[in-house]
Amino acid sequence: MSNPDSELDRRLQALFGGLDTEADFDARLMARLRVESHTDAAERAIRVRQEERERYRKALLGLQSWRRSMLRLLTLDTLGITLLLVVAAVTAWPHVNREVLSISLQYGPYIATLLGVLLATVPIVGMWAEQTHRPIRLL
Amino acid sequence: MTDEAIALLLPAFRRKVFGLAYSFLRNREAAEDVTQDVFIKVWRALPRFDGRASVSTWIYTIARNASLSALRARRPQSSLSDPEVMDAVDAIDTAASAESLVERAALLRLVDQLPTKQRQVIMLFYMDEQSHEEVSTMLAMPVGTVKTLLHRARARLSAAVGM
Repeated sequence: MSNPDSELDRRLQALFGGLDTEADFDARLMARLRVESHTDAAERAIRVRQEERERYRKALLGLQSWRRSMLRLLTLDTLGITLLLVVAAVTAWPHVNREVLSISLQYGPYIATLLGVLLATVPIVGMWAEQTHRPIRLL
Repeated sequence: MTDEAIALLLPAFRRKVFGLAYSFLRNREAAEDVTQDVFIKVWRALPRFDGRASVSTWIYTIARNASLSALRARRPQSSLSDPEVMDAVDAIDTAASAESLVERAALLRLVDQLPTKQRQVIMLFYMDEQSHEEVSTMLAMPVGTVKTLLHRARARLSAAVGM
């Protein structure tokens, strides 16, 4: 007489042991994967093109904004400062004694360079102020 | 590289994933569809697989979620106790004789009447290597629960078939 439990085990194993997919399952899956792979590649290419277009658009906007801010700074801030410097120089000129004049002539190129550097910092400071949204206070 | 990984995973997990899907859906075609979807999902997600869980746990989780989604999306399934039983048995083993088909249909009907968890445990346990641990991973439940469910299911089946 067989063990009832082992008989039930045997019958259940016979019932579910052969549970498997159809024979062509792997081939169908691989074919589907190939299709998905091509679709994925095409979608990726479209996505990359869109991202590249978006990057170009943003860079262009950034450049235009930079140009605008440079023009604004040059017409207002830089010209104002230059005018102030010229007025200050003309006002101070008669009071400068000969010694100072000879020194300034001797170190003329250095002074000019220093002034150039100072003027060049104006748009840079302006750009920094625009990026950080801080107001520029001259005084 | 992903294709090679799938080629390795497929023989190791195809039957198990199919069995898991079948234990939820009780329909061969639906289970095959879900199994295909599972491997497509695995193929897509494989580059992002971080190895925090084991591959089997990861695949079974995808399979369980896909099966539950398919189950929800489907209209209420008629019971295997209906005339579909013969087809279901035939689908499980096409080589069975007419007499054993009737026997198997009767047993399948009994299995079908078990509570869902017991039925799933019975199916998965007898489908493969009869490992409690494997069934526990597949169904994401403790080994002790699997043993308890299996014991209860077998007791009910034994009583029902008069063994």
